[in-house]
Amino acid sequence: MSKAQEFEPKIVAYVCNWCTYLGADLAGTARLEYPPNVRIIRLPCTGRIDFNLIIKALEVGADGVLVSGCHPGDCHYTAGNYHARRRWILFRELLDTLGIDLRRIQFTWISAAEGRKWQQVVTEFTDQTRKLGPYKELYATGPFPDVPAPETASPGVKSFAAESELREVCGKLLAEGTVKVVIGYGARGPVVVTRAEDAERLVWNNRCFSNLTAYLKRKEIKSLGKAAVIVKPCDEKSLVELEKEAQFERKDAHVIGMACEGVDQPKCAHCTARTPRFADVTLGVEAGPEPQTSPSPNRFAALMAMPPAERMAFWTEEFNRCVKCYACRQVCPMCYCERCIVDKNRPIAIDPAPSTKGNFAWHIARAFHLAGRCVGCGECSRACPAGIDLALLNISLHIAAQKNFGYEAGIDPKAEPVIGSYTLHDTEAFIR
Amino acid sequence: MSRIGVFTCWCGENIARTVDVDEVAKRVAELPGVRCSLNYKYMCSDPGQAIVREKIATEKLDGVVVASCSPHMHLKTFRKAAQAAGLNPYLVEMANIREQCSWVHHDRVQATAKAFEIIRLSVEKARNDAALQPIRVPVTRRALVIGGGVAGIQAALDIADAGHEVVMVEREPSIGGKMAGLSETFPTLDCSQCILTPRMVEVGQHPRIKLYSYSEVEKVEGFVGNFRITIRQKARYVDVSKCTGCGECWIICPLKRNPSEFDYGMGMRPAIYIPFPQAVPARPVIDKSQCAKLIRNGCGLCEKKCKAEAINFKDEDRLVEEAVGAVVVATGYKLYSIAKSQPKATLAGYGEYGYGKYKDVIDSLQFERLVSASGPTGGVLKRPSDGAIPKSVVFISCVGSRDNAKGLPYCSKICCMYTAKHTMLYKHKVHDGQAHVFYMDIRAGGKGYDEFVRRAIEQDGAQYYRGRVSKITQEGGKLVVRGADTLAGMPVTIEADLVVLAAAMRPADGIEELAQKLNIGCDEFGFLLESHPKLRPVETNTAGIFIAGACHSPKDIPEAVAQASAAASKVQVMLAADELTREPEIAAINEQTCAACFTCIRTCPYHAIDRAELRTPRGAFIKNTARVNPGLCMGCGTCVSVCPSKSADLQGFTDQQVYAMVESLA
Ligand SMILES: Cc1cc2nc3c(=O)[nH]c(=O)nc-3n(C[C@H](O)[C@H](O)[C@H](O)COP(=O)(O)OP(=O)(O)OC[C@H]3O[C@@H](n4cnc5c(N)ncnc54)[C@H](O)[C@@H]3O)c2cc1C
Ligand code: SF4
Ligand code: SF4
Ligand code: SF4
Ligand code: SF4
Ligand code: FES
Repeated sequence: MSKAQEFEPKIVAYVCNWCTYLGADLAGTARLEYPPNVRIIRLPCTGRIDFNLIIKALEVGADGVLVSGCHPGDCHYTAGNYHARRRWILFRELLDTLGIDLRRIQFTWISAAEGRKWQQVVTEFTDQTRKLGPYKELYATGPFPDVPAPETASPGVKSFAAESELREVCGKLLAEGTVKVVIGYGARGPVVVTRAEDAERLVWNNRCFSNLTAYLKRKEIKSLGKAAVIVKPCDEKSLVELEKEAQFERKDAHVIGMACEGVDQPKCAHCTARTPRFADVTLGVEAGPEPQTSPSPNRFAALMAMPPAERMAFWTEEFNRCVKCYACRQVCPMCYCERCIVDKNRPIAIDPAPSTKGNFAWHIARAFHLAGRCVGCGECSRACPAGIDLALLNISLHIAAQKNFGYEAGIDPKAEPVIGSYTLHDTEAFIR
Repeated sequence: MSRIGVFTCWCGENIARTVDVDEVAKRVAELPGVRCSLNYKYMCSDPGQAIVREKIATEKLDGVVVASCSPHMHLKTFRKAAQAAGLNPYLVEMANIREQCSWVHHDRVQATAKAFEIIRLSVEKARNDAALQPIRVPVTRRALVIGGGVAGIQAALDIADAGHEVVMVEREPSIGGKMAGLSETFPTLDCSQCILTPRMVEVGQHPRIKLYSYSEVEKVEGFVGNFRITIRQKARYVDVSKCTGCGECWIICPLKRNPSEFDYGMGMRPAIYIPFPQAVPARPVIDKSQCAKLIRNGCGLCEKKCKAEAINFKDEDRLVEEAVGAVVVATGYKLYSIAKSQPKATLAGYGEYGYGKYKDVIDSLQFERLVSASGPTGGVLKRPSDGAIPKSVVFISCVGSRDNAKGLPYCSKICCMYTAKHTMLYKHKVHDGQAHVFYMDIRAGGKGYDEFVRRAIEQDGAQYYRGRVSKITQEGGKLVVRGADTLAGMPVTIEADLVVLAAAMRPADGIEELAQKLNIGCDEFGFLLESHPKLRPVETNTAGIFIAGACHSPKDIPEAVAQASAAASKVQVMLAADELTREPEIAAINEQTCAACFTCIRTCPYHAIDRAELRTPRGAFIKNTARVNPGLCMGCGTCVSVCPSKSADLQGFTDQQVYAMVESLA
């Protein structure tokens, strides 16, 4: 191949104004030559480098994305890079799960004095990307091995003993006016009961799998007055997180906790929380199968065993089915923004029309917004009419938050949420 | 913006040698939104700037892109030029085609192509620029100084001498801090009180300094330029405005055997007292835990004796409010409390040194009082147990400091110096005495410091052992100190009459609570955090709040004073005008769409975002929201990245602008 025909990669670099940008300036002052492929976008701080920007760069056809700022301890704004590092640690895990080629995204710390490092990083990254060739695998379809289907169970209805007690308690709460509305389970799914006599419609059985806390955010329910909400120990986790995010105050709702015997969902097999911890009142007795000691996210393990290109093909096929109905968002207790990022039209971060790019952008944003927040209720996967297993992506971030920062959503009401906090010792091995 | 002027610079040969500037200018002229595109030899020169100004006027430009060097070099220059021509300066962008293009590439074709893309990217940004107005914050031109040690005194005097009012809050009955109790100071061995007390008097008499002694900061509201401080004046039982400081009361008080705080328990004081003769204000205070009148309605002698009728047994705490524009925190330090029991779970004490058990094992500040001419022994060194003159004194340095096991891994920095000083002061008082020092390393960096330590060893004959002391026991009238000399590789046992422990420096009590009120950070040991260790050493992350002295880290007097003057000069800059002008490239939140998750509040390094309520013009509640305080935001954009609803955005680097730039690369 002659030089003229050789592939020249397109490289987008997001750099902070105070260290890396100045480092690149220094490379210039010192006349340190490097390949001309890189296009620098100057931002004040790595803190400003949002994950959407990395996705955007790939969308416009970048073959490589460079992200760089001040070394830890040197951020002009003291902590922007610590926050950024935390997000990158999590975001990379998500990208990896999606099968995005991590060699195409390089994170570095380059100080204002490191003109030479800038030269080296850009040179090596450009050479490496040139060798990798155009990023054709991005959002590409292709063959991939079978992934075990999500375990679904549809056993017959089995009522639990506490059902009558539940009706009694709810009837009383309504009759006495303690609450104006009860969000509970009916024979055919969630019901909202406002009259004491209707408490008879409430059920408590092995089909009560919905996470009812998602209804608390709804305007039409809020307008009815103080609500009682029926929660299982697993649902309660979302209340813990919602409280941290100022979306829920204990005084606003009466929480009826149900000691749980399992609702025949896959997650129930390794559920260890059988009794609600924070409820105003707890009914029933805990029972059910002994929890398996080690949770085995089979599907996730199978997915991660594939090479990245096959993972990508898997997700492309999944996401191509997405019709952007946003049912997943609607049922998620943790999705409460009144104006979701996809609904923002100036500028458009995520293409609202169903398209491969836009669908990926939506699913990446959805999953990442739930990083360290998703409580694993599985509602999203259940709600999706296209049968996309959204929970699989959530698992990746759930594991990442736990592994890297020891954080598990919904467990410790005092623990600082993963996003928007940091420690000086957050460790990673990928930032050069 | 649709009428953008692009000005490509040759930078003499610097750009033009590798970038074909004519070609670039020609291609740029075709870009959407570009009204005119030209090139010139030196855009930053006067004629170059004149071209920009002229084109802004003649072409009615609504945006400017200068393609030349780094924005760090000349963005300000071109913004000023634009402003002079009547264009909002924030509608000017720079395309860096020198440092990041012509200087780092040789191939003319490639460099020209890249330069064009860099300019296109900048044009896209400019097309999405918005005119921004500098932010103006009104400023109350007064300052608060918390803590009246040498650092606080220095800061207060500097600020007041510059013409601004200062409010000083000191929680003890007198200002002066630790320095007031030191005997003589290294490295000059001048008398501490002789240099400090005139400064204290100056504070007390300064027409622009309002001193609240025996007071504490109760509450802090507001933000830079506009703080409202609530001060708690603790009940003193003496009306300071009536009292003449004659001393009749403390002479008559029968309860004279209370350990003196100022002497660290080495001396005694009455229940109504001034901490030391040179106190400022020289007004007594009654210790309500000791006074017989206040405890059981007895005595009352002082009230009868006071001709000024200044004693008021009905006195109560009072809250007063002061408005200030800036705050200097100078709350200093205290010594680590050596003994086995410790105030915090993270700390551990020394049981093996017998501190608190043997009267003649004392800490370094107690030693200062024992050798001070104004001290309880009148400057004659007598040991606490029996008043005997100690003939052999062991000094142990690094007690607590640099010891992970004690929870204090840091170096207290000044102990090497004052321990050397102590051996000298001792030798000067007890000519036939022998000083022994156990040390880990001698850290004597500073002007004349190493020479000072040498003098202690070489002239005054202090015996230094590099090693730790493992145990101190009392045998007969002696303290038996067992340690090691690691250089000689031998155990050492010394029979001492007095042992002085150089305890680690820790931040003052209550620092965490104070930091919380002020919304500033502490490190894990409680020392206050500076905003940037190199570039903003006296600022904190809360605008308008500065730090000085040993509250920041262990420091000696020269350093504390230097830092205080630095903080004072920062305050003076702030108070120089009625208004503060700040860069408008800061965050803004769309309050309609904000989900009120408050992630941004948790994230912002400058505590610049608050919870707020969105209300109708008539005051009806609509929703909760986060709100940026433009007086505090520094424009890092960290909030933008964590905002799930994309309600936070950064002016000057909006999503709209950044996306436009990236998309120009498609
Ligand atoms: C044994 C010993 C010997 C020393 N010898 C020397 C020497 O020879 N030469 C030398 O250069 N340095 C020496 N130093 C160091 C010196 O003491 C300090 O550098 C200096 O005192 C620091 O001054 P400062 O104003 O920062 O703190 P401080 O002197 O501690 O003053 C702080 C003031 O703030 C007040 N305060 C605290 N908290 C509050 C609050 N919440 N509200 C209101 N007020 C508050 C305190 O009451 C105090 O008055 C010595 C230190 C020790 C321990
Ligand atoms: S499992 Fe799905 S619905 Fe449940 S919290 Fe996580 S993302 Fe939301
Ligand atoms: S519910 Fe399914 S189809 Fe609907 S937006 Fe979510 S993932 Fe797409
Ligand atoms: S831009 Fe930075 S300083 Fe300003 S509000 Fe956002 S996080 Fe805080
Ligand atoms: S992060 Fe965004 S949505 Fe949340 S409070 Fe801040 S501005 Fe509002
Ligand atoms: S300014 Fe460089 S990382 Fe924050």
